[in-house]
Amino acid sequence: MSQPVLSIVGVSKSFRQGRTSLKVLDGITLEVGEEFVAILGPSGCGKTTLLRIIAGLERPDEGQIVIHSKEPRVGFIFQFPTLLPWLTVVDNVALPLRANGMGWEEARERARKYLSLVGLQAFEDFYPRELSGGMKQRVNIARALAVEPIILLMDEPFSNLDPLTAEALRTEILDLWTLKVTSVRAIVMVTHNVDEAIFMADKLVILTPRPARVRGVIEVGLPRPRDRRSAEFQKLEDKVYELLSA
Amino acid sequence: MLPPLLVAALASTLRMLSAYVLSVLTALVAGVAMARSRAVESVLLPVLDILQSIPILGFFPAALLFFVSALPRGWGQEVAAVFLIFTSQVWNLIFGVYSSVKSLDPSLFDMAKVYRMGRAATFFYVCVPAARNSLIANSLISWAGGWFFLTSSEVISMGSEEYRLVGLGTYIVEAFERGDTVSFGLGMAVLVSIIMATYLLVWNAAAQQALGRRLPSLGPAYEALRDLVSKLWGALGDALVGLSSRLRVPRYAWRAVGAALAAYLAAELALLISGSGGLGAGGLLPTLAAVLAALPVSLARVAAVVALSAALSLAAAYACYRSERAGPAVILAGEVLASIPAILWWPLLAGLAARRPYGPYVVSGVIFLQGSLWYLFFNLMVYGLASLRREVEEMASVYRVRGWWYLRCVFVPFLMPSLAAGALSAWGGAWNASIAAEYVDLGGQAIDLGGVGALMSKLASSGDYAGVTASALLLSLTIVLFNKTFWRRLFKYVEERYGGGVE
Ligand SMILES: Nc1ncnc2c1ncn2[C@@H]1O[C@H](COP(=O)(O)OP(=O)(O)OP(=O)(O)O)[C@@H](O)[C@H]1O
Ligand SMILES: [Mg+2]
Repeated sequence: MSQPVLSIVGVSKSFRQGRTSLKVLDGITLEVGEEFVAILGPSGCGKTTLLRIIAGLERPDEGQIVIHSKEPRVGFIFQFPTLLPWLTVVDNVALPLRANGMGWEEARERARKYLSLVGLQAFEDFYPRELSGGMKQRVNIARALAVEPIILLMDEPFSNLDPLTAEALRTEILDLWTLKVTSVRAIVMVTHNVDEAIFMADKLVILTPRPARVRGVIEVGLPRPRDRRSAEFQKLEDKVYELLSA
Repeated sequence: MLPPLLVAALASTLRMLSAYVLSVLTALVAGVAMARSRAVESVLLPVLDILQSIPILGFFPAALLFFVSALPRGWGQEVAAVFLIFTSQVWNLIFGVYSSVKSLDPSLFDMAKVYRMGRAATFFYVCVPAARNSLIANSLISWAGGWFFLTSSEVISMGSEEYRLVGLGTYIVEAFERGDTVSFGLGMAVLVSIIMATYLLVWNAAAQQALGRRLPSLGPAYEALRDLVSKLWGALGDALVGLSSRLRVPRYAWRAVGAALAAYLAAELALLISGSGGLGAGGLLPTLAAVLAALPVSLARVAAVVALSAALSLAAAYACYRSERAGPAVILAGEVLASIPAILWWPLLAGLAARRPYGPYVVSGVIFLQGSLWYLFFNLMVYGLASLRREVEEMASVYRVRGWWYLRCVFVPFLMPSLAAGALSAWGGAWNASIAAEYVDLGGQAIDLGGVGALMSKLASSGDYAGVTASALLLSLTIVLFNKTFWRRLFKYVEERYGGGVE
């Protein structure tokens, strides 16, 4: 494995619900190198919680998250675009940069660069309500890339799009990833979709039902672009489903 | 004759404007802090609940005394006047900001946190824009509330001392006392013109643009003003965001600032109370007993006023709803009437008050209504009518539900939530107005209708600050007791029965 980018060490997390406490994560340990990792698991097992802990939105009860970089910036592609309706597309992308001390003009310049990377250069002065669902998700992606993160986190990023748009965006993300045109050194994606995980990721991490533990790790090892109808792909798919339903 | 009037008009408008700007800034900071911090919320929510429904005018002498003694001569009264106007504008603005930030999609705050936007950027780019529409809607009420208190803030007699500030309120009252009908009329005309102009040019235009409600307005001036304000606000936000991204204020620093502020306010409050003579001072018991004895009369009046306000507002809302033509006229008339200052009703209706035996009661009723009706009126006009849905209207017309049945089964139930919200504010407003409505001293000729309000007015004009503060506290306690029992139950009932909207 290449040098580590992210280490998840013995992370546990419980939520209090009234008087009872609900254990969601139970000692998750995972090493992520310069690779694309997909996290799969049954519904409600704690995938989003794990991602939120990596992003620093939630604090683990035990264990820790280590990002091996002097500037541990993360980008987060939310399940829903979470754009601010009162800002234009370019300002939505530029805002995190401006808020961290960059001047507006420089921030907009950088935002435009990443908007053109996702094919939205013509829409920079539009407001979010004027865009389709797929375009909004592209802005979400551009915003995540524009902060020039080391790690890109994605929580079911294609689940709210129509199948054609979702497929187009998958290919775009893969292209950006394989061509290495961004600062991203590792991707962690949470998904329900086994086919999508095998199609995109280098490594699959399968979690148990709640409380989530790591049930298995599978290296995909298929050359890109991957053929969904190939025998290897199908065999891998069967293996993942077996682990998921075990 | 004109120059003094012009100066007075300018001074009053400036006073209103500074109080309004102060109110908006306070509302933004307090409302956002409440929505974002559990700790601030648990402290401020009950405090504001009380502040909103207590008779502010009752505490005014104590506040005035405090400001006059704390600040250099001339400034004290001015600050006290702005403070009084502020207290008549700020509460509904705070609640508006609070609930709109509270109901924002929490993932927006996740986004802000992931990208380390910091507090300043989150405030300026996430919270404030989200609160904008509710600020505009609430400003319609607050602006009228401010004018209503204008004269009370400009002409204050406390014992032997009387403070008069340069302003329209003073101008009109003095003209009346001199018996100078021309000046009186001119003053009133200028007052009404300013009120109408600000509504037509600013508030209604803003509400029309931001909320999509059809209101009588003239657009272009508002657009220029809006651009100016957003440019200024944008520059301020940008400067503060830039500054805070360079400073990176740590969390505990914000906590420390908050704690220091709370400690300071508590100290000021203690000073205010001790400055007003100390609550433990002797001789208060008879005063408090008199307040308790006077409570039932005032309570009956306040209840009647709230009921009448509800009926009148429903009628006005129905008229607006039925007729495209009458709507704008009703709203503009309401805005002007709502803004006419409390004390001016006495001179305006003085003839009636003096000539007929029931005259004083009519005038008092008008002042009571002034203090309470408009909360209901604006709540129904801005929020209530917007909640009537097209589907329901179509359903009603398909099944020919008309007249009484339409009112009973469609119109009123849909307006119920905003009716209840307005009634709660109207109730607080009526108590506050009782101080101006139950007792008035018109150049030696006093009209005293009894009740808690009259009691407090008399205590204030005899200079008994401890008595005023103690009675105001006792009255506040009673009002809060009602809020926690009667009003809470009513809200629960309305929420359960009418809250859901269309199924
Ligand atoms: N803030 C919270 N407070 C209390 N319980 C929570 C909180 N966040 C998540 N949970 C609970 O933790 C469990 C795991 O939630 P999480 O969203 O991480 O699951 P998930 O695997 O992402 O689910 P899905 O597949 O539906 O997206 C759920 O049972 C959820 O109800
Ligand atoms: Mg999830």
